[in-house]
Amino acid sequence: MASVAIEARGAHRAYRGGAGVHGVDLTVEPGEIHALVGLNGAGKTTLMRLLLGMLRPDRGEVRLFGQPLPSAGRDVWARVGHLVETPSTYAELTARANLEAAARLRGVTRAEVARVVDGAIAELVLEAYADVPARRLSLGNRQRVGLAAALLHEPSAIVLDEPGNGLDPSGVLLLRSALRRRADAGAGILVSSHHLDEVARIADRISVMNAGRIIGRMQPGGRDPEREFFELVLADDVERAS
Amino acid sequence: MIGVAVAVEARRALASRVLRWTTLLLVVGLALIVGGMTLAVRAGDPQVVAKLGIVADLEGWAAVSAMAAQVTSAGALVAMGVALSWLFGREFAEGTVAGLFALPVSRAATAVAKLLVFLTWVAATALVLGVAVWLVGAASGAGALDEASATALGRQLLLGLLTGCIATPAAWAATLGRGLLPGIATTIGIVVVSQVMAVAGVGAWFPFTAPALWAIEPGTVSAAQLALVALVPLGFGALTALAWHRLQLDR
Repeated sequence: MASVAIEARGAHRAYRGGAGVHGVDLTVEPGEIHALVGLNGAGKTTLMRLLLGMLRPDRGEVRLFGQPLPSAGRDVWARVGHLVETPSTYAELTARANLEAAARLRGVTRAEVARVVDGAIAELVLEAYADVPARRLSLGNRQRVGLAAALLHEPSAIVLDEPGNGLDPSGVLLLRSALRRRADAGAGILVSSHHLDEVARIADRISVMNAGRIIGRMQPGGRDPEREFFELVLADDVERAS
Repeated sequence: MIGVAVAVEARRALASRVLRWTTLLLVVGLALIVGGMTLAVRAGDPQVVAKLGIVADLEGWAAVSAMAAQVTSAGALVAMGVALSWLFGREFAEGTVAGLFALPVSRAATAVAKLLVFLTWVAATALVLGVAVWLVGAASGAGALDEASATALGRQLLLGLLTGCIATPAAWAATLGRGLLPGIATTIGIVVVSQVMAVAGVGAWFPFTAPALWAIEPGTVSAAQLALVALVPLGFGALTALAWHRLQLDR
């Protein structure tokens, strides 16, 4: 059986003032899209940073493909794709040059770069902007470049923080099909959202986060997911206040 | 994977306007200042003569070289420190640093690659500055293109390299401070320390002072003392690589 793509066990990381992530258990299985939904400040980005080694947990453990994070080597990281917060585009480089650099940094060999980047440009429909410097790209197109960079090397574990940010409806459709195709090919995907957006709605599993903890699960395809989400958050707020 | 990191960083540096403009401003600025001072000394301007001190007593290539060295030891240090602060600090200021995590290329390799690209740029800039000094000297009638002119060019080249070396703490500061300003502030601090001690004529064994002291009075600094300057990029390069290795996005 393939090992869990992404796993957090009792992951805890507190900031001064008490915010952060408090003992979170989470798994992303190969072949599934797992959505992490929570209001602003719920701890989604902190959790994603913990999963990607951008933060070290105070307590608990994070594993990628069964490998504890501190000992994860190049072979593990070459199978990971991510976009957390701002797309990592460099203003002076064209969209294509940004993707070529991203491909090299993700372990794509020099001989394969052109083919891989052409594929990414076609998948996110960036042909018209491929030779435009990133500083002249709109927010939505920069987001597309960032997503293309995260996905171009066909990673087996994908972590995307609010991937629908700035995308127009056609961009959202492209993203949804790009994620679904990779999940069907066996990738484990974690996406975050502050509401049940168009991306979160294609998830196989939805976890709700509030005040740094996972407070419940939601059934994908529910009749009124927004209402269900707010009821969970409200109930948690009331419980914590009492 | 350091090769990949160097290739990526070199491509970004070549495409950047910041490094191109820094080189251009530095070269044009140095040529104008040295050319202007040469003309002023020749015209007997008492203020410029007073400011230049012992340099005003020199003639020909020795004078051009000494003036260029003074400008380089302060001006090029600021320019190089700012460029290095940008190379490192921009990742935090522009929010691209998150993209340097979770990759098969380690962050320490990226940091070392940035330093190698910086030092390569320093070498290229030192060469262009040397050519600029040579042209200014030739145009201002410093003398024949003889051994004296070759010495002036060599001195300018070495001073450019040494100046780049002592700017490297800016990379560490920009990393620890997560932005450009801590690197720039550190550069200003290095300029102040090196210039104050050099003017006082002390600190030949202190790597941050040796280049400026050597720039003012070459005879006061030995080759061994100048060689110690290489410890600065080695030491602060190691500290910077360690800081990137341990980096967390916790602010």
